[in-house]
Formats: sequence, structure tokens, C-alpha cells
Amino acid sequence: MPGGAREVAESCVDSLNMELVATYCKRLHPTKPDLAGRRIEAIGYQVGLQLAERYTRERPRFTDHLESIKFICKDFWAEVFKKQVDNLKTNHKGVFVLQDNRFRWLTRISVDALPTTGAQNESAVAANAARASQAAGQYLYFPCGLIRGALTNLGVPCAVSAEVTTLPACEFNILVLKRVE
Amino acid sequence: MIVCVAVVGHNNNPLYLQSFSDDGNTLKFHYIVHCSLDVIEEKVSNSRRAGVNLNETFLGLLYPTEDFKVFGYISNTKVKFVMVTTDQDSRDADLRNFFRRLHAAYVDAASNPFHVPGKRITSAVFAEQVGNIVKSFGIPAPV
Repeated sequence: MPGGAREVAESCVDSLNMELVATYCKRLHPTKPDLAGRRIEAIGYQVGLQLAERYTRERPRFTDHLESIKFICKDFWAEVFKKQVDNLKTNHKGVFVLQDNRFRWLTRISVDALPTTGAQNESAVAANAARASQAAGQYLYFPCGLIRGALTNLGVPCAVSAEVTTLPACEFNILVLKRVE
Repeated sequence: MIVCVAVVGHNNNPLYLQSFSDDGNTLKFHYIVHCSLDVIEEKVSNSRRAGVNLNETFLGLLYPTEDFKVFGYISNTKVKFVMVTTDQDSRDADLRNFFRRLHAAYVDAASNPFHVPGKRITSAVFAEQVGNIVKSFGIPAPV
């Protein structure tokens, strides 16, 4: 292999992500947010497939679904987001919740806070949280696709959704789909 | 010498098959690779049933035919690499090295954004890399 590993500035990844969301959600499909979300998720799906190939290269094979999910939480997350998932919960029936308290791609997002005067504090805070999760939700389509692609390539068909609790923490819900035998 | 290299996807769909022998009966190699897929399935499900945690990627000798030996390797994403050779004795280290380099070349080819996952690999760079890997197979390491 010639030379060392090639590197890219992380600000490029941030900019690309922002532009991806801006293009699909505002320019191409401004009236159809669901369609924009599905398109972005599909892009993430293909990238996830390819990344899973690359990151599982030297490893021995996984024995079951839980091993694959743990791989996603530790090695895959560390490669893509430079940290591991903070919390993994499961109900042992095929639903997994991945919690990341400081999701790297959300750290640069902030929402203008509504002015909070004394009496309306509670509702203003709640409204702020709702606006934050709505604004940030668009930026989570791509990571959802990433996870879905990676898991599908490892043999775990699934559906992935995400929600923002408080910026920059977020949760990913993975529902493992039963294959019809 | 190696006469055929094949890459098969996780739905047992052929992604790449290249023969390096001169007599050009590629169809025979298609058939051999297809038969070896059954052996791979058996090995993979056997290791799971026997309780032995043999989660190795390199599967070793799949089956010997009259002129050829067939070796297999399966990746974590259920992509199978099959190699047919006429060598009667190949070192284990050489084989593992060969499959490792083949896997690396495959990962690079699969990362191509114009490659549709599940369709055949049409990259000329991949074909060239495979050719190079095949040519340098079995060359003894300098003492």
C-alpha cells in the first residue's frame, strides 16, 4: 500500500451532511419531507452496506444478532463517530435502543431559544425541546440508513428510527425484522 | 497454478468469476464453483451446530476433484471467495494470504459508488488486482 492512510478533514463530513439535508429537504422536495427523508436514508443504506464490508474485514464471523449489534455499538460507531455508543438497551424480543449522549453530527446544531419570561417558563422550555427535535430529526435520516445498511449486510434485517431527546443526545431504535421462513 | 477465482454474493449470486487457464472452458469452472457453494453452506451450518465456535473466515479445502483442489473463504457479510487450483501442495499461509488480499481488493471494489450491490463487479481495476494477486501466489518469501 503506498504511503499512509489518506485522511479527510472532519469539517468536510459536517459540511457534506448539512448540504445533503439542505438539498433534499429544502431544494428538491420542500413539500414532501417524508420523501426527502426516505431518499437520504437510502443513500445512508448503501454507504452502510459498503462500510460494513470494510470494517468487518479482518474479524472472525459473528454468531448471532446480539454480536452484530454489539459490533455496531463499539467498533462501527468508533470508526464513524470516533466514540462508542453510551448505552444499549434491549427487550430481548428484537428491539434494541442505542443511546448516544453526544452524537457527533449533532454537536454543531443549535436552535434559537424562544424568549422565556417568568410565567411561561415551562411551556417555553417544552416548546424549545420540540423545535430542537424537529430540526435535528432531519439530520438523523442518514445515520439511520447507515445503521440499517450495516446491519442488513451482516445478516440482520431491521428497521431503524431515531429521535432527539435533548441536543446533542439522541436515541436510535432498532427493530429486528423476522425473516419469513 | 491457480486456474479460477470466483466471488459469490450472500444470496449465492455470482459477482465475479475469472479463469486463468488456457483452454477456456469457463463453463466447467462455473459448475465447480456452484457445487462448492453447497459445501460452504454445510461447513458454515455445521460449525454452528457442533457448538464449536469456529468463526473462522478461511474455510480451507472444500473438496478435491480429479484435477483440481477447491478452497473457500467466507467474509462476515456472507460474501464467499472460491479458488480453484491445480497445485497439489499449497502452503496454508500462502492460501490465507491470498484470500486476505482478495478480500481487500473486493472491499475496495465494493466501495465504488457506481457499483450496485448484488450486481456483477465490472471494475477493470479489480480485475487487474486479482490478476496481480494470482500471479504472485505461491512465490516463496525471500529467506
